[in-house]
Amino acid sequence: MKRLWIAWRVVVLIALRNLLSHRVKSLIVGSIMVFGTMLMVVGTSLLDSVEASMEKVVTSSLTGQLQIYSSQGRDELSLFGGLTASRPDIGEIEDFGELKRLVEPIENVKAIVPMGLSIATGTSGNDIDATLGELRAALEEGDARKIDALRERIIQQAGLIEDEYAYRKEISSDGERLERELEVLQRVQQQAFWDDFTQSSSERLLYLDTQLAPLLADGRLFFLRLLGTDPQLFKESFDRFEIDKGQMIPPNKRGVLISRRAHERFMKDKVARELDRIKRELELEGRDLATDEVLQGRARRLSRQYRRILYQLDPQETRVLGEKLRAELGSSEQDVAKLVEAFLLVDAQNFYERYAYFYAEVAPLIELYRVNVGDTVAIQSFTQRGYLKAMNVKIWGTFQFKGIEDSDLAGVVNITDMLTFRELYGKMTDTQRAELTALRDEVGAEAIARDDAEDALFGGSADLEDRGASAGESFDEFESVEVMERAQRKLRAGQLTYEQQEMDSGLALNAAVILEDPTQLARTKAQLERAIAARGLKLRVVDWQQAAGIVGQLIVVIRLVLYAAIFIIFLVALVIINNSMVMATMERVSEIGTMRAIGAQRSFVLVLFMLETLALGVIAGALGGLGGAVIIELCGHYGIPAFNEIVQFIFAGPYLYPHVTLKNVLLAAGVIFAVSIIATLYPAVIATRIQPVVAMRGKD
Amino acid sequence: METLKMILLIALRNLAQARRRTFFLGTALSLVTMLLVLLMALSQGISDNIVSSATTLSTGHVNVAGFFKATSSDSAPLITDAAAIKELVREQTPGLDYVVDRHRGWSRVVSSTSVLSSVILGVDIQEEPRLPEVLQLAPPSEYREGATGPARGDVSQLARDNTAVIFATQAERLEVEVGDQLTLRTQTSGGQANTVDVTVVAIARDIGLLSNFSIFVPKQVVLQLYQLKPDTSGAIQVYLKDIDGAREAMSTLRGALEREGYELMEYQPAPFFAKFETVSGEDWIGQKLDLTVWSDEVEFLMWILTALDTVSYSLIAILIAIIAVGVMNTMWISVRKRTSEIGTLRAMGMTRSRVFLLFILEAFLMGFFSALLGASVAALIAFLVNAAQLRIPVDAVRAILLSDTLVLAIEFTQWLGAVSMLTLFTVLSAMWPSIKAARLQPVEAIQQIE
Repeated sequence: MKRLWIAWRVVVLIALRNLLSHRVKSLIVGSIMVFGTMLMVVGTSLLDSVEASMEKVVTSSLTGQLQIYSSQGRDELSLFGGLTASRPDIGEIEDFGELKRLVEPIENVKAIVPMGLSIATGTSGNDIDATLGELRAALEEGDARKIDALRERIIQQAGLIEDEYAYRKEISSDGERLERELEVLQRVQQQAFWDDFTQSSSERLLYLDTQLAPLLADGRLFFLRLLGTDPQLFKESFDRFEIDKGQMIPPNKRGVLISRRAHERFMKDKVARELDRIKRELELEGRDLATDEVLQGRARRLSRQYRRILYQLDPQETRVLGEKLRAELGSSEQDVAKLVEAFLLVDAQNFYERYAYFYAEVAPLIELYRVNVGDTVAIQSFTQRGYLKAMNVKIWGTFQFKGIEDSDLAGVVNITDMLTFRELYGKMTDTQRAELTALRDEVGAEAIARDDAEDALFGGSADLEDRGASAGESFDEFESVEVMERAQRKLRAGQLTYEQQEMDSGLALNAAVILEDPTQLARTKAQLERAIAARGLKLRVVDWQQAAGIVGQLIVVIRLVLYAAIFIIFLVALVIINNSMVMATMERVSEIGTMRAIGAQRSFVLVLFMLETLALGVIAGALGGLGGAVIIELCGHYGIPAFNEIVQFIFAGPYLYPHVTLKNVLLAAGVIFAVSIIATLYPAVIATRIQPVVAMRGKD
Repeated sequence: METLKMILLIALRNLAQARRRTFFLGTALSLVTMLLVLLMALSQGISDNIVSSATTLSTGHVNVAGFFKATSSDSAPLITDAAAIKELVREQTPGLDYVVDRHRGWSRVVSSTSVLSSVILGVDIQEEPRLPEVLQLAPPSEYREGATGPARGDVSQLARDNTAVIFATQAERLEVEVGDQLTLRTQTSGGQANTVDVTVVAIARDIGLLSNFSIFVPKQVVLQLYQLKPDTSGAIQVYLKDIDGAREAMSTLRGALEREGYELMEYQPAPFFAKFETVSGEDWIGQKLDLTVWSDEVEFLMWILTALDTVSYSLIAILIAIIAVGVMNTMWISVRKRTSEIGTLRAMGMTRSRVFLLFILEAFLMGFFSALLGASVAALIAFLVNAAQLRIPVDAVRAILLSDTLVLAIEFTQWLGAVSMLTLFTVLSAMWPSIKAARLQPVEAIQQIE
């Protein structure tokens, strides 16, 4: 025992002495090892942090830990977008209620939330709609003076639209339609139309609503990715969810919540949004308005958007803004358009000043958002059969997710109730069927069977061009609703209600499962799969990463790339370390020969070599691991800025705060040990082959 | 000359003698060169994919497009008076190959079983000499499971009214075959919906990701869908003999169009669909032209190349650093081992510069031949990979590489660049040990013999 101890002590001492005496070799091999370890610690920690932050965003904003959906669809679930421009076919969960009853009792399941994703385009109503709204209010109040003023405004607006028709004729081949619409415009401008207006106001208003208002196409179109769900349940289950502006959709009421991100990025006034964007790029991406040509180009284009501000102002406001801007800019310019243009031409010196001034003085005068909380907007969506469904929805508020407010990923969907979704998707509830029958009776329309509707869609185009002109020609059963006065429908939109039972039963496309303990994901997934199979449901269960679609795969790709890079780096490092070791062995031939001559066994030489490497590995691994950990923790303290939008997307926010785990360090150290041991094998074997006689011969 | 030959011989002998060392270092060098060439080939392959699919589907080398505003808040991506502008472009473009004009639209495509959304490209097939060549017909097995038989259909049938050419992925999704009907459906911002029925006359092979979102129809279909007059168009696409001349051709055309009195928009390197909002906020009415080069129209794809190149070059930089350390170390030991040899050579009258040259030459020979070997192996791998038409299994990778199969495009200049670069770095790393060797005094060197 004691002899063994002595032998070990000798080997260790010799090994350490050798490391010291071959300083150059030790330094080179050691520095490669340190560098490799550091690289690996940094790389894997960053990746783990990215994955963790992505997981946080994905699971706590949309997917939950698990998703259940039909196994009958042709496409895989991809909640954050896939590769086709069409709605993916993920099948249907025909009866969500059945699934809910099956899943809820399973251990570790906190909640199951019904979902269905659809894409809708919205129009927020135009200036004429707004004027008609005021007119309607004035009529109710019987304010004759106001009615007169509004009448003049409508006549003026119709005149402006008529002027545009000269240009429309230049590109449009449909002369007949243009003539028809011109007739409407001219009729509205004639005194005769207004003569007995107050007597037959509802009929005239209907005409203005349905004939005049649609002619003003002022591009206030926006896209909404709508997630149909049970809003109350969603709020309870996704605990980061919080209302930003407005209020939560009240229980059993229908409506829409818009994500704050979508509201800020897609529905804000273009001028405000451009200012925000320049500010973001200045601050986050560290760009400089004084030198960056791309940014300067953006500032120049921004100044040309002055019209977006001016056309929202009435003459009084225009005058006031003109005076303010003259004072602010120290200019004597009389033309307010030129003043606004000059004001918007920001540069490196004045940007922050102008930015603050814009929000303080200009923003209150204009409509900062295309869609405001409390508005009722018309949205349209293609049903799963490909025809168009339009309806009005109330915007109750905007929402965000606590802690991940800045993530592009977290704001990708807007929320609506399952019933609205089912309507847009093309599924009716019993209540709606009853309601529709009543409506049909009301307008005297004949019920159209589904088959006939299909004929209308695929048979020819003549019927389709005039959307909803009359109920009889409509190809979509819901569109008979079109003939109702628009305002009346808007009134209804905010009051639509449903019963909880309607929400729970019926169709969903997919369902999010929230777990009590996310670390038990695999086990619960297996349990769910067993339960579903036992009930004979044709459903599949996937984890959040699969459910996220392309985004989830992205992280896999990055991981693959990182591992491939690390593998290649270590492969080359291995060859280089090996080479250095062999060279060093060659230099020590006589030394080793002497050892062998005085009785050292081959195994002694082998152990000696391994120990040398191991000692180097321990030191290098420790230094590298420590260095890597320090780098990561420093980054974690200050945050790594996402220098462009792609990186911001990957970081799931403007900054990444990475942290190192023991696992990262141990893994790196383990790999570096393995690499150095493998690299030592060959030189060690060469060393064991050295014969004692070599030493006696002197030099080789 | 004679001395050079002698030095060369000594260098070769040294390399051969230190077989192990030469082998290991050489392997590492070859590996890195191979990797560099393959990564560059991958990047080039993606770049070629982007260029070929973009110039087939969404852009010319130079585009003369524009916006027409009936009202200040409008922004229709249209040009009126297309024929006259096209004639002007034909006369004024330096290095012109040919010019086409295409309509652009966005539409729902409805089959009897499925629906998708796509860009619709209105073309005059008789005007497009390249299109029938580029659009290869897809055999039914590519879009219908279990189907066999040769590809049917004919792209030139687009000359007939109410026809369409779609891509294999779309055919698979829509479950249609050549000869089937599709309904195209658009919606104007005023809410009016128009439809046109078309017959599928050919199903083409996919051209990367972009072809998922594009179908070809005759111009008449787009005109009908959007109720447009026949003398309007979407974009005049200019194809040059050499795509590298695009920027120059664009500035020439800008000058020519301005001289003819056309109003031009300020150059903004972005695809046309990213400009709607800007245009609709600007205070002008009527027509303005907008000129772009091909890379502007696919600007949203360019980040892929940037990301890949960033990863590639950082990886190569790290590897070269490791190799440099290895080469330096090896040469250093080699110099020490051969101290007496150097001393003898110096004593025999060899000058310092010759000794320096001797060591540098050794490094050069090793670096050059290893790099050459590595680059050649890479070329062979690229050739085999391309021939095998490897299908990429992961969606995300397919999206990133813009292709269903792995394509490695080796350009000779890049190949040569990689070999030169690795050789150069090897020589540079050998510099310091070689200088040390050259500085050795003959006496000192000989004395060091133990």
